[in-house]
Amino acid sequence: MYHHHERDIIPVSFKYIDRIDALMSIQELDRTDARVSAPVPSGPARPPVIEVARLHKEYGSTVALDDVSFTVHAGEIFGILGRNGAGKTTAVECITGLRTPDRGDIRVLGLDPRRDRQELHERVGVQLQDSAVPDLMRVGEVVELYASFYREPADGRELIATLGLHDAQHTYFKHLSGGQKQRLSIVLALIGQPEIAVLDELTTGLDPEARRHTWKLIEKVRARGVTIVLVTHFMEEAERLCDRVALIDHGRVVALDRPGALALAATTSKRVRLTPIDPLPEELLSALPEVSGVEHHGAEVVVAGSGDLVTAVVLALHRAGIQAEDVESETANLEDAFLALTDETTHADSNGVTR
Amino acid sequence: MSTSALTLTPRQRRAFGLLVAGEIKIAIRRPVGLLVAIGIPFALLVIFGSIPATTRPEPALGGISFFDLYVPTLMVFVLIAVGLTGLPQQLSSYRQQGVLRRMSTTPVPPAWLLAAQTTVSLILAAIGIAILLGAGAGAYGLALPHDAGGDILSVVALLLTAAATIGLGLVVAAVAKSPQIAGAITALFFYPLAFFSGLYVPVQEIHSQLITDIAKVLPTGAGFNALHAAFGGQSPGVLPFLVLVGWVIVCSLAAARLFRWE
Repeated sequence: MYHHHERDIIPVSFKYIDRIDALMSIQELDRTDARVSAPVPSGPARPPVIEVARLHKEYGSTVALDDVSFTVHAGEIFGILGRNGAGKTTAVECITGLRTPDRGDIRVLGLDPRRDRQELHERVGVQLQDSAVPDLMRVGEVVELYASFYREPADGRELIATLGLHDAQHTYFKHLSGGQKQRLSIVLALIGQPEIAVLDELTTGLDPEARRHTWKLIEKVRARGVTIVLVTHFMEEAERLCDRVALIDHGRVVALDRPGALALAATTSKRVRLTPIDPLPEELLSALPEVSGVEHHGAEVVVAGSGDLVTAVVLALHRAGIQAEDVESETANLEDAFLALTDETTHADSNGVTR
Repeated sequence: MSTSALTLTPRQRRAFGLLVAGEIKIAIRRPVGLLVAIGIPFALLVIFGSIPATTRPEPALGGISFFDLYVPTLMVFVLIAVGLTGLPQQLSSYRQQGVLRRMSTTPVPPAWLLAAQTTVSLILAAIGIAILLGAGAGAYGLALPHDAGGDILSVVALLLTAAATIGLGLVVAAVAKSPQIAGAITALFFYPLAFFSGLYVPVQEIHSQLITDIAKVLPTGAGFNALHAAFGGQSPGVLPFLVLVGWVIVCSLAAARLFRWE
């Protein structure tokens, strides 16, 4: 008999693990609380603003990009997600004309990023990793300087206020906090009133609160009608902000879809954890068609599989008369998709890709 | 830089002006460069100008004073201080910190920052030299060039020496991955170059043909020879100018070839 009383279920605050008594609605629970903004219509209805076709780039014998293709539509937040070293920054550098790909075609707003570089930089705001402004320039001076670089600059003072840097206007760049530096880099990416903003690892190094604040800002920027290409290795960030995500691994696009759809596609990584009170014959669960693997971690058993895994496992235990405690189901999220679609064993990353 | 200064639009001129103004503000906010390039030569001028023995005409120096001989050396010192210490420090740290990378994503290429830095170096050098000549002539009886020919030769010599030292500085900035490396390279070359401009002792006082010959082919020695002759109303000859032009060409080509924006 399946043993069920309140003590059995450890209340789990982590949002992707639900209580067993909600098992029937696992699919529906998918990401209902993860997104704050309504999904913006994407796809063919909106014109493409970035078209990347069969992009290839090697550094010596290292393949940084291998046959990368994707299209970004006007008004969407497009995520480029991958581990450090997956090729994300190289892709961005090719799109923004800073690097010449070995092969492939890129069109950004109808422009060739290398040939029409100056015009491209008028219309595409870019925030790159490892970039800075002089230490001893004040925020206000930097913004005024960068505004002078563009044909039709935005109102610098208004942007500074929007990004909460008003009080830091007279502060030297070197005295800004990490969060302030990131917000200044957003100001500089937007100062030219770009049609597209490319933001590379914008929230890396920020504390969780500053990160959430930055996310809100990005949503505000999109509300202004700016198309955003967001490069990140944070799963949560891509899930929360992006309309569509290109998952890059070893220089290849391994998946490209809405974050929710990617997660749904990764049902193979669905897991059920339980602690049997009675002896559990090995083949009882592994014989189920939904189950792909059973692992023992001390007293705990982790069942991996697909389909309606929880129901299948619980029913099998019930039929065999085995009681179990602490039954937990983990629904698939984007991170599971990531792990399923990329090769996680070869290079683990402690910065949020694995937990 | 693809656009020359003559074809800049008003917007581009404003951007360049703001870049130069920003670099000047930074130079004032981190005044160690100004102290080395303007303060030290001025202090040496005051010290030697105040010693009666150094301002007396010396028959051994062809009738001029040691002070008159030393002012061209100090002018060359200003130029190597600006070109070899300030410029590579600033540019290599801009590269290391990602300032050049940040600019490379804007419609204004990072080469403009290099041009602005060079402009600021020239402005600082002009200020340093003006202070030397003003104080030298006003307070210590420095003999300035006697005629228009001497004036023109002096200005040409100063400009070419400035171009050569800034060129050397750009080569250092090109090969140095960090300001620390730039500082080490500069330290290696600065004092020998200063020596051949006569900073420690006038080169002709050493009475060594080898030293004199080496001085002739180095930018500091050639700069000093040209300035010394022009200030003294003599013809410097073509050699110092050819040597300086040679250094400018070699350094520009090397810097252009070796410079990395990232």
